[in-house]
Amino acid sequence: MDIGDSPEEAAFRAEARAWLEANAQRRDPAKRHKQASTDVEQDVHARACQEWQRVLYDGGWAGLTWPKRFGGRGGTPWQAAIFAEEQNKFDVAVGAFAVAHGMVAPTLMMHGTDDQRGHLDAMLRGDDIWCQLFSEPEAGSDLANIGTRAVLDGDEWVINGQKVWTSGAQHSVYAILLARTDPDAPKHAGITYFILDMRSPGIEVRPLRQITGVAHFNEVFLTDVRIPVANVVGDVNGGWKIAHTTLSNERALIGGGNTAWSMQELIAMARHFGRTNDPIVRQGIAKAHSRAAVLQYMGYRMRTSISRGEMPGVVASTMKLFYARHWAATTALALSIQGADGVLWGDSALDDGLWQQTFCGQYAVRLGGGTDEIQGNVIGERALGLPREPALDRDLPWRETRGSGR
Amino acid sequence: MNFDLSDEQNVVSDLAKQIFEGHAPVERVKHVERAGDGFDRELWHELANANLLGLCLPEDVGGSGFGLVELCMLLEQQGRRVAPVPVWATLALGALPIAEFGTPAQRTEWLPGVCAGNVVLSAALNERGADDALRPTVTALRSEHGWHLQGVKPTVPSAQFAARVLVPARQDDGRIGVFLVNPADAGVQVQPVKATNHQPHAHLVIDTVVSADDRLGGESGDGEEQLHFMLERALVGLCALQLGVCSAAIEQTAAYTSGRAQFGKPLSTFQAVGHQAADAFILTEPMRVTMLQAAWRLVHGLPSRQEVLIAKYWASEAGQKVVHLCQHLHGGMGSDIDYPIHRYFLWGVQNETTLGAGSTQLARLGELIAREGR
Repeated sequence: MDIGDSPEEAAFRAEARAWLEANAQRRDPAKRHKQASTDVEQDVHARACQEWQRVLYDGGWAGLTWPKRFGGRGGTPWQAAIFAEEQNKFDVAVGAFAVAHGMVAPTLMMHGTDDQRGHLDAMLRGDDIWCQLFSEPEAGSDLANIGTRAVLDGDEWVINGQKVWTSGAQHSVYAILLARTDPDAPKHAGITYFILDMRSPGIEVRPLRQITGVAHFNEVFLTDVRIPVANVVGDVNGGWKIAHTTLSNERALIGGGNTAWSMQELIAMARHFGRTNDPIVRQGIAKAHSRAAVLQYMGYRMRTSISRGEMPGVVASTMKLFYARHWAATTALALSIQGADGVLWGDSALDDGLWQQTFCGQYAVRLGGGTDEIQGNVIGERALGLPREPALDRDLPWRETRGSGR
Repeated sequence: MNFDLSDEQNVVSDLAKQIFEGHAPVERVKHVERAGDGFDRELWHELANANLLGLCLPEDVGGSGFGLVELCMLLEQQGRRVAPVPVWATLALGALPIAEFGTPAQRTEWLPGVCAGNVVLSAALNERGADDALRPTVTALRSEHGWHLQGVKPTVPSAQFAARVLVPARQDDGRIGVFLVNPADAGVQVQPVKATNHQPHAHLVIDTVVSADDRLGGESGDGEEQLHFMLERALVGLCALQLGVCSAAIEQTAAYTSGRAQFGKPLSTFQAVGHQAADAFILTEPMRVTMLQAAWRLVHGLPSRQEVLIAKYWASEAGQKVVHLCQHLHGGMGSDIDYPIHRYFLWGVQNETTLGAGSTQLARLGELIAREGR
């Protein structure tokens, strides 16, 4: 065990920092930056993410942990962590490639054909933003219940159905898609995993305006959308297993991510309101500080296990659930610190209402990528070895389960 | 950076696990609790024979030259079996400070005996009321024969078995000194008390003169630094014990709720049960990582005050939630003292409260953050 930087890691950190100093502006750690809210701001943010990604690519810093044969740097998870820690001190746009780099890429590296892996370079270069077309109105926690149909017609699949809670669909040129290819098989055994070109005819993206005021999510309607057979990832009807790789990486991505605020910002805010001598506020900040430390150390453990080539299964669920609770508790604390100002909203509130927005945004964190309860199930079954909850529809043909009141 | 344990650390942990599993099965723990004085000397000698009591002590006194992280592995394994032996008192409270600060004479007088399993040590860190171990109330007046110590130290672990108890005291010159007190001295009253976890503890009523040679580190020893050192190791050691207590309690709870059926299916398949078990699990992982972080930083001499408080906050706050959940999920079996789970609850509460519960750690941490702005 060695929790500090090794000499090589320290050298890597210095190299990363020097490169960042030369290519980006440092940001003020105590000042919160306005989040992209309007459609125009979100478009600007997505473009800025693409531009920064291109700078990383040209500088040889993109895809830090990706194998060199996929265009990456072939580095360790630790180097990626160090780079992310350093990059976080600079005023650069990141986030638009979370799905592409964090979820699609590991899935294609593990399960994709050589042609499908050809997408990796464009997402690394910052050209292609991807989205994930998994959830549906009737398939949330019960994701295997998806009803979007794919029917084979010659050498193309024809897709009809509706997806929901799709992050970044409006900026995406490709998507990963789960659709039902055999309605007569049990629900987990009739699903296929596709790559979808979002520029295909028949796709309609409708933004969902959220409580935070931002339209981060979308509904996506698919009407007679055609996908070439070469875009099936893995086997036809074998998509559930492949979705697991994506979902496990999604949890690792969310749980291992940065919160939308830093502890320095929280403490600066408490100072601003003159609350740092209030023992209740101090205990609250101390709790938040200790949770942030736990997440940092858990992230180290997760990276250690990833560096051994393990899937981030239980650790990812643990971190995701912990992270969601940290988010909820700390943003509630932030509003309570503001006292009477806590009820203000938007530009009437401190920092243009970012704390209020982050508080309301907790549900995206707690529900997206598998709800708190789904993570609880994963931990119960996989970490503690508890038996699975009985499911009456597990072995029935999916079509029959549809009749019973769904 | 590498969060894996080293091969040597895994060997230590496996060896400790093997000894505690072999020599502290439930029946043995029950027997010592009912028939003995709360100290399993057979197990103690097994630990000595396996060189585990000298694990964290230097080689020149007969130890293996490992440190606090390895001691924490040992304490974790002890916690898993709630085994009645004074590992924490002897090694974390007594032997580590003597090894670090002791004069050559103090080290050779006490540490080889610790390694061999013949010497039990302890320290009197608790204070009545305000809980601030860093402000000792025992007084030390310089006299012609040494130091005249006077005062009361509550709830000293294993004081009745200890050859020496390290007693921090406020000297007449305002400095702090740590003194090696013999509880068998005529001037020391040892009043055995009952403790939540049923382990031996005693109040010490001290009115005795100790020789100048029994001041830790001799005349020049820096008692302030020694006391910080002792308290930090004491807290991290408790965290390691608590980690063992909680992780074993969760495993037993998972097994119990998976074996017991109600309404025709195992209890653990009800989400209301499974999610509480999962909550207990995610409360325990922070205990593990914060304890390792604090121990590792202490060993490497890095600033650790915040990290130690964070670790003890989790051990206290999360630890008590975990043992409550495990107790609850055992239903009526939890209150049946013939069934083992209640010991985990009692040890969990003891570890939570000892040297300050969660709110105490938070208050100190909040003060540090406000001061340091980190």
